[in-house]
Amino acid sequence: MNESVLLRARGLRKLYGSGEGLVRAVDDVDLDVMRGEMLAVMGPSGCGKSTLLHLLGGLDRPSAGELSVAGRRIDQLSERALAQLRRHEVGFVFQAYHLMDELTAQENVELPALLAGRAPRDAKRRARQLLDQVGLADRADHLPSALSGGQRQRVAIARALANEPVVVLADEPTGNLDSAATLEVLRLFEVLHNGGLTLVIVTHDERIAAIADRLISMRDGALVDETRLAGGTRRSLADFAGLES
Amino acid sequence: MIGRAFLVCRLAVKDLRHRPAQALLLLLAIAAGTTTLTLGLALHGTTNSPYARTRAATNGPDVVATVMPGGSSAPAPSTQARPGSRGPTMTVAQEAAALVPLEHAAGVAASSGPFPVTWTSLRKGHTNGGAEVEGRSTAVSSVDQPKLLRGSWIQPGGVVVEAGFASALGIRVGDQLTLGGNSFKVVGTAATAAIPSYPDVCAEAEGCFIVGNVSSANPGLIWATAADAARIAGTDGPIAYFLNLKLDDASAATTFADRYNANTSPSAPYLLSWQRIRSGDAQVLIKVQTVLSTGSWLLALLAIASVAVLVGGSMSEQTRRVGLLKAVGGTPRIVAVVLLLEHALVGLCAAAVGLIVGWLTAPLVDAPGAGLIGAPNAPSLTGSTVGFVVALALGVAILATFVPAIRAARQSTVAALNDAARPPRRRAWLIALSTKLPAPLLLGVRIASRRPRRLVLSIFSVAVTTSGLVTVLLIHATGSNWSLGPQVMRVTTLISVMLIALAAVNTIFIAWTTALDARHSAALARALGATSQQITTGLTVAQLFPALVGVLLGIPGGIAIYNNPNHTGPTALPPAFWTFATIVLTLLAIAALTAVPTRIGARRSVAAVLQADAT
Amino acid sequence: MQQEIVLAMLAKEPSRAFQLRSRLDDALGPLAEGLNAGHIYVTLSRLEKARLVAVAGADGADTKVYRLTAAGHERVTEWLSEVSSPKPDLAEFHLKLIAAAAAGLADPISIVDLQRRELLRRLRDVQQAAMAEPNESDAGLVLEGIVLRLQADLRWLDSCERVWSERRSKR
Repeated sequence: MNESVLLRARGLRKLYGSGEGLVRAVDDVDLDVMRGEMLAVMGPSGCGKSTLLHLLGGLDRPSAGELSVAGRRIDQLSERALAQLRRHEVGFVFQAYHLMDELTAQENVELPALLAGRAPRDAKRRARQLLDQVGLADRADHLPSALSGGQRQRVAIARALANEPVVVLADEPTGNLDSAATLEVLRLFEVLHNGGLTLVIVTHDERIAAIADRLISMRDGALVDETRLAGGTRRSLADFAGLES
Repeated sequence: MIGRAFLVCRLAVKDLRHRPAQALLLLLAIAAGTTTLTLGLALHGTTNSPYARTRAATNGPDVVATVMPGGSSAPAPSTQARPGSRGPTMTVAQEAAALVPLEHAAGVAASSGPFPVTWTSLRKGHTNGGAEVEGRSTAVSSVDQPKLLRGSWIQPGGVVVEAGFASALGIRVGDQLTLGGNSFKVVGTAATAAIPSYPDVCAEAEGCFIVGNVSSANPGLIWATAADAARIAGTDGPIAYFLNLKLDDASAATTFADRYNANTSPSAPYLLSWQRIRSGDAQVLIKVQTVLSTGSWLLALLAIASVAVLVGGSMSEQTRRVGLLKAVGGTPRIVAVVLLLEHALVGLCAAAVGLIVGWLTAPLVDAPGAGLIGAPNAPSLTGSTVGFVVALALGVAILATFVPAIRAARQSTVAALNDAARPPRRRAWLIALSTKLPAPLLLGVRIASRRPRRLVLSIFSVAVTTSGLVTVLLIHATGSNWSLGPQVMRVTTLISVMLIALAAVNTIFIAWTTALDARHSAALARALGATSQQITTGLTVAQLFPALVGVLLGIPGGIAIYNNPNHTGPTALPPAFWTFATIVLTLLAIAALTAVPTRIGARRSVAAVLQADAT
Repeated sequence: MQQEIVLAMLAKEPSRAFQLRSRLDDALGPLAEGLNAGHIYVTLSRLEKARLVAVAGADGADTKVYRLTAAGHERVTEWLSEVSSPKPDLAEFHLKLIAAAAAGLADPISIVDLQRRELLRRLRDVQQAAMAEPNESDAGLVLEGIVLRLQADLRWLDSCERVWSERRSKR
């Protein structure tokens, strides 16, 4: 077993309905995600990329196939064990942020730690630390309604990091954000990635794809393409802007 | 204007048709209260016929004159007999003598007696009780000859038991009874109109003695020969004398009695008119009515809680109303009126159902017991009964929908169309407090506290139910003193069952709407690592806190209801063991009823919920 | 008018000038109105001079039938596999796809994929440069502009891929 493979999927399938109405949301996917890798998953709407992400994170159970996280099979785990997985190994970031409206940023970030049974003081300290890391230490006592979209998503990312997961799974994290907010989130992802965190990001946004180590494309539930963009182009940036070199 | 009214009516009916199950549930909830109220009101006066028949069959007296031992001429329902005393003022002979002038008084057409009456302890097999024994002759009396329903009339060593008493204690012809230590055989059962039948022998002021060595037995009537009665009384048992009078003008009985009762000298006889005796026979009925009307109030309160939980309780209700708005292009005010009208309609139907069912089932509750002859009057549905019932039903419906309707009407159209469900208010102290709790409770407390209105309804519902159950407990506990008879027991059981059923429904409603509203938070918590088990536990335990408060409020509530201003006697407290058992059982029941819908809600697919509710 | 476009359009079959013109009109719709009719003839004669195109039969200037030479075919193939220069011309890329599909010389979808990969690489360079600049700086601003344009191009390439996939699956 290759130690550097963090997530491994073989023959992963998720089917809904039956007969005429059978929908292959994820159709026979084989995937390896390396430790420390930033993987972008792209594809048209309805291609199954969100479903794949939910399967990888244990939010949903596959209809068939094998799935391992850090060497441990998770496709047959009980619901309680899957909850443990979500508690300690996997962090989730959603397009709609899904922050609790009546909790401050800090209370939102400390929630996973509290749910995992950590002492309130520890959870609080860790939350402050994380908010500092994402650059929102001064907004710790603000409610989500007082934060901009980009700030909310950064709080959500901090929350995903609360229990020190080995991988963060993000589902269209910049889907609701404007260009400037997207840049904030991109920067954060880059920093986390450089710090060794494994990231799997489902996205429509080519900008995220552009900074990822690897880009895979899905269509109709299957992986259809894989690209590595390392190395960039040999042209100068000025060319792209219409300046004569 | 007419057009608007028409539109509103149509919308209300359409909305009801769209949600038939919910409308039906609401109807049933309100109908429990209206049926009970109808029963209570319709039973009024239904023992009049049986009493009249008994009077005719026994040639019942128009007036009964009594002289009690000890000369007490004032009404005394129970006095401890002091053994060995016949009272300071009168001998037995003097007692009888005091009655004789009445036999020939003006207006008296006929008389029978004076008959000696004593009180003693009764034992049949393992059953202990008390008896009022009237000494009679074996010959037929001209006034008040008890009508034999079974067996034959008295003989030496053979007694006749009053039919209501016999039925309550299961005494049959041929049984052996021990009266005051002497053994007798039961030779017959009979009915009379001269003394109210069991359990109200002592209800009207003919006076009763509860014999010292029997703890709290409500006596029943037994006829024996005069010699046997004397033997039972022995040397120191109490002996009173009763004289039955028939008047020229039966309707003048009350005036006749009042005239003689004006003489308040202790040696003067005390007179009771047949109307008073008839109301004595109606005591059971009155008790039944009291239980029913109290029960109907409690059920009405519970129904308010039911309606309030369903209406304006959940976010899905609010969105539904918004959908209504959008579909029709009306203003929020119209929506509010539609809401009120809808529920008023349900209330009216519930009133109709209650009136019909109550009227039809009244005979079942109504049986006057074995002690009177014949079937009761048909229950009457007077105009005022109908009025009360309708008022109750409409009151419940409107009270419960009032607040959400007003709130809906106040919203601006824009806000309503934007589907702005009220966001939960932040309670910082509660959030801080909950961080110290274990994970399931943390979630449960935070989720439950988002809708304080629902918490209040929960407390209210449990408090009302517990009050009812405690009242019933008290009735049962103190009942043997004033033995309430099978009808009252039946009715209290019925009301208890209805209260528990309605409360259970309320609990399930509340748990269901909470689970529904909490599904987003619950899904998120699960995405963050909570198990659905933790969520179920948390929400269930969180629901137990208001339940406990409700139970603790309900106990004094029930005590207050029982010891209401009309209540005679000392303040009664419910027995400790049963009270404790009620608390524990209620909490367990609520936990179970909450856990089931919560668990169903907590097992949904996390991904599906989060995607559907993306804000 | 890019010479390669005309060459590519001849790759399907030899044509007269006015036929080429009408195919351009079909492909470009309202965009074609700006085209000068004379351009085609000029381009054709240049191509003839460069021996990439030859005349096959003639009844006068208007009705000359042109066809590709071997060198012309080679040039077309080469062009189809090239990635666009730094200033990709939308119309040109669009015609490239149409011509490739019509002539059956290359799969339009693989052309799209190639272009996409290139744009993504460019995007990576620019994005990383943008992230290195402080927020709200002038440099950051112009880089953001490039990023957004590249993103727009990539979006259009997604549409191209979708449409051409559907066409292929319908066949």
